[in-house]
Amino acid sequence: MSAHGEATRLLPRPLLVTITVLLCALVLVPISYIVLASLNSDVGVASGEFWPSSFSLESYHKIWTTADLSTGIVNSLIVCGATAVASALLGTTTAYVLVRYQFRGRLTILRGLVGLQSIPGTLMLLPVFVLFSSAGNYLGLTVVGTRWGLFIAYLTFALPFSTWVMVTYLRGLPRELEEAARTEGANTVTILWKIIVPLSLPAIVVAGIFAFLLGWNDVLFASVLTRPETHTAAVALQVFGSSQEGGALPVYSQMMAAALVCAAPVVILYLIFQRYLVGGLTAGGVK
Amino acid sequence: MTTELLDQRNRRNRRNRRKEPRVKRAERKNRGVTERQRPLWLLTPGGLLMVLVILVPLALALWISLTDLDQYTLRRWIQAPFIGLDNYVESFDAGLLHSIWISVSFALIATAATVPIGIAAAVVTQNKYRGRGLVRAVFLIPYVLPSFVVATVWRTMLQPDGIVNSVLGSEGSLWLSGSRSYWTLILVEIWAAWPFIYLMALAALQSVDHEVHEASAVDGVTWWPKLTHVILPYLRGPVLLACLLATLNHINNFTLPFVLFGAPAPDNVNVMPMLVYVTSFQGLRFGLSAAMAVVSLIIILIPLFVYLRAVRLDVHEEGGRK
Amino acid sequence: MRNQKIIALAGVTVLAAALAACGGGDDGGSGGDGKTLDVLIGANTQYPEEFQAWQKSISDKFKAQTGATVKFEQFASANDELTKIQTSVVAGSGPDVYAVGTTMTPTAYSTGAFVKMGDSEWQKIGGKDKFNPATLGISGPDENNLVGIPWVSRPFVMAYNTDLLKAAGIDKPATTWDELRDQAKKMTHGDQYGLAVAYKDNFDPWKFVWGMSVQAGNPLVDGKTAKLQDPTVQKAYETYFGWLTTDKIVDPAAVGWTNPQALASFAKGKTGYFALTTSTATNSLEQGAVKGKWAFALLPTVPPGATSRPANGVEAASILSGDNLLVADYSKNKDLAFQYVKLVTDPDVQLDYYQKFGNLPANASALQTLSSDQRLGPVTEAAKKSVATPFTGAWSDIQLALTNVAVQSLPDLAKGSLSAQQIDSRIATAQKSAQSSLDRAK
Repeated sequence: MSAHGEATRLLPRPLLVTITVLLCALVLVPISYIVLASLNSDVGVASGEFWPSSFSLESYHKIWTTADLSTGIVNSLIVCGATAVASALLGTTTAYVLVRYQFRGRLTILRGLVGLQSIPGTLMLLPVFVLFSSAGNYLGLTVVGTRWGLFIAYLTFALPFSTWVMVTYLRGLPRELEEAARTEGANTVTILWKIIVPLSLPAIVVAGIFAFLLGWNDVLFASVLTRPETHTAAVALQVFGSSQEGGALPVYSQMMAAALVCAAPVVILYLIFQRYLVGGLTAGGVK
Repeated sequence: MTTELLDQRNRRNRRNRRKEPRVKRAERKNRGVTERQRPLWLLTPGGLLMVLVILVPLALALWISLTDLDQYTLRRWIQAPFIGLDNYVESFDAGLLHSIWISVSFALIATAATVPIGIAAAVVTQNKYRGRGLVRAVFLIPYVLPSFVVATVWRTMLQPDGIVNSVLGSEGSLWLSGSRSYWTLILVEIWAAWPFIYLMALAALQSVDHEVHEASAVDGVTWWPKLTHVILPYLRGPVLLACLLATLNHINNFTLPFVLFGAPAPDNVNVMPMLVYVTSFQGLRFGLSAAMAVVSLIIILIPLFVYLRAVRLDVHEEGGRK
Repeated sequence: MRNQKIIALAGVTVLAAALAACGGGDDGGSGGDGKTLDVLIGANTQYPEEFQAWQKSISDKFKAQTGATVKFEQFASANDELTKIQTSVVAGSGPDVYAVGTTMTPTAYSTGAFVKMGDSEWQKIGGKDKFNPATLGISGPDENNLVGIPWVSRPFVMAYNTDLLKAAGIDKPATTWDELRDQAKKMTHGDQYGLAVAYKDNFDPWKFVWGMSVQAGNPLVDGKTAKLQDPTVQKAYETYFGWLTTDKIVDPAAVGWTNPQALASFAKGKTGYFALTTSTATNSLEQGAVKGKWAFALLPTVPPGATSRPANGVEAASILSGDNLLVADYSKNKDLAFQYVKLVTDPDVQLDYYQKFGNLPANASALQTLSSDQRLGPVTEAAKKSVATPFTGAWSDIQLALTNVAVQSLPDLAKGSLSAQQIDSRIATAQKSAQSSLDRAK
């Protein structure tokens, strides 16, 4: 490693290794249980086995017919992807205005955004549904059951968070570049697109990731706002947890397999996008 | 009527007058950007969405909390009898304060525990090494698994005859019932939620300028003072924000306790969202549950705003920073 | 700049994709043919392929008969379903036909959002007489206000290990609760237990308590009065908890078991009885070590502490369990809905459904053809001796309150002792919430 690497090193090597190993173990021990359970039989999982008495990949084959998982994953990717992009960009513009301009009610908006985060989803479920379905009844717009409806809901729920992430980030950005551009006659939209967005890419990616995951993990809204053909992965996954009252074993191993399959696209997306988490600011003069 | 109007107009005038100097200040600060040029219109799309999808339903929820909306009146919910504050009175009888207390304490403990883990994880993945990308992805996994899977997995592992007890040699001890269930909830929540802090801290670490590292290297500062005095202050803003949002997420987390303990839940983990959900979607008392949610919302909002003022997260740090 | 372009491109593509794909709401169509009937039905994770095939075959038959299409929508859990019912009722739109669990039928009825079955409606689905009379017991509060059309039965029975019973010198399964306890005691030694019970299940506990109380002459609800604070209920809880604390015939780990876990434990072949299960468990049992060594039996019908049922006691072998079909009041396709109901309650379809999924027919003649099946004998008998739980909109609360007694007792149960006072005070809490719910019932 160059002196460059040495300078940015934050921890002595032994400590770094210890912490990394500990944290990986913290994550991977339960994960390995999930992997092993996905290869086990349902009876084996239900009776508390860690190491399966017999291995089988059958579950990875069965999951696709048990629930419409592929449709779910596609829907989730579309809805959550759109939510991530839209909320990151909308969050950036909103944050930009809130950070760069003084106006009456600015603080109220900022605090209100945090306040909105504390509204419980269970309170909103019924009213949101009523609202969306009356859009269908009175305006002739089909909202419930479409990806649109879900997208709008997730975008709104993700927006306060994205905005705040961007506010904390943009506050640290120097003004010089924007001002230089402005004196050259650039308008706000150009400044946002050409200067702010590229500079704040790491934060945009973070905001996008969280918006994405918000939708990806939601079951409450997705289960009432979708129809079979627009079900998300999380809703499809729920089917694996179902068991008939007093009846048979839940399909544990299929559920574990399906959970891993559904987690995979997100992890892959993260692996692709994580390089944007770094950099962005290296040239800036923020202290 | 007329006096009222006059009053209003006066107030508005006064407000405008008060605004003037501020605008001037802003002008000076923004070097020539006048009020007319402030692109406030950029706030409209977000604002419109908030109003439509959050504020309007919230108003609806407030209305519902004042009515006797239950399974018998559900079909004609608009005509549900208005009963004023009765639901609010009843909600205190129904164990609401107990639930709020559990929710808030659980959320604070969970947040306090996830912060050091999350920061540590961010710090150890800051420097490039072979396989770092993989480690970063591993750290993300708990956050990527849907809550209900996480809860099912832990529920299976924590059964009396499950894997955890056989590893710990504590055969037959109960993790999912009684007083220990509270700590189980906290532990599982920590496991599932620390990557949130990690991601926020990681993003913030990226904004630490290279010169800072070099300067401390030149000064010969050892790692601990460098970490605590030089690096961590950079994380303050984002991590404080993360703490705040994480706490709110813990408080509102419904799926995890619901799947982990089922309904009816043990009294020790009857958290607020469980109470609201069970009241509303199992007991079918929508009015009562809306009132419960509103009360808890208010109880949470008060300290929230005090906190926001105290940490001054939202205050424009103009001038000082440049 | 490159980054920016990639992000921009990604954003535009994704958004465009979302936009493009969002056109397809269901437009219902117009005219006689080409209509779509929405049916809400429980997911079947046990036989997913067969379930899909069944849906397809029904859809094809329905299309041939009426020209309309059936669209099935699945729900994952009872909660999921209840949420769906509620949101649809509020919005006045949603599925046309619901398959609803029997114990949830009173709740659904209380919303008033489902079609009440009059003579003409029964006519449309082939007459009321075609059903096993017992299954109609939970279709409505009285003869003139029926909403639920029986579809399938899932009566509760016990499963027992034939080898273990034989080894203990027991020639026939227990018919009273006391006998069950004594037999289980005989079979408990070493790592072998007499009885598997799911104490942590969210539904099992109330079924035991209800059954024992009804057999002792207390139906738990009398008009507008909850009768939970009653010696029969107390005795029921004492017996139920006593299996673990005093009789020690249950694996101590059972305090953490839900029904599937108790089933898994029984399937290992080291337990005499599994106290509460249905015919749908067959598949799981055949996969375990107990394969070929088990049989179903009726649950005891003589209350604990007695050798014969008191005069006012009811011979309740099981709650009336299964699924009812409900037709939504808001439906614009009611005639189609009834045609669908007729189709799936006809004998051949019912038998086919049984053969695929193990749910008993609600259709009387279909059920009759099954009574010759040796293994199924006790189950069909249980179907006929099933008794409906009280038909009130408050029932879901009462159920919850009864279960809550068990939930809050688990820590004491794990410690191995539970005093009568503790049980009493928890029953008192349950009584209070049950009564307040009944007071609100309309």
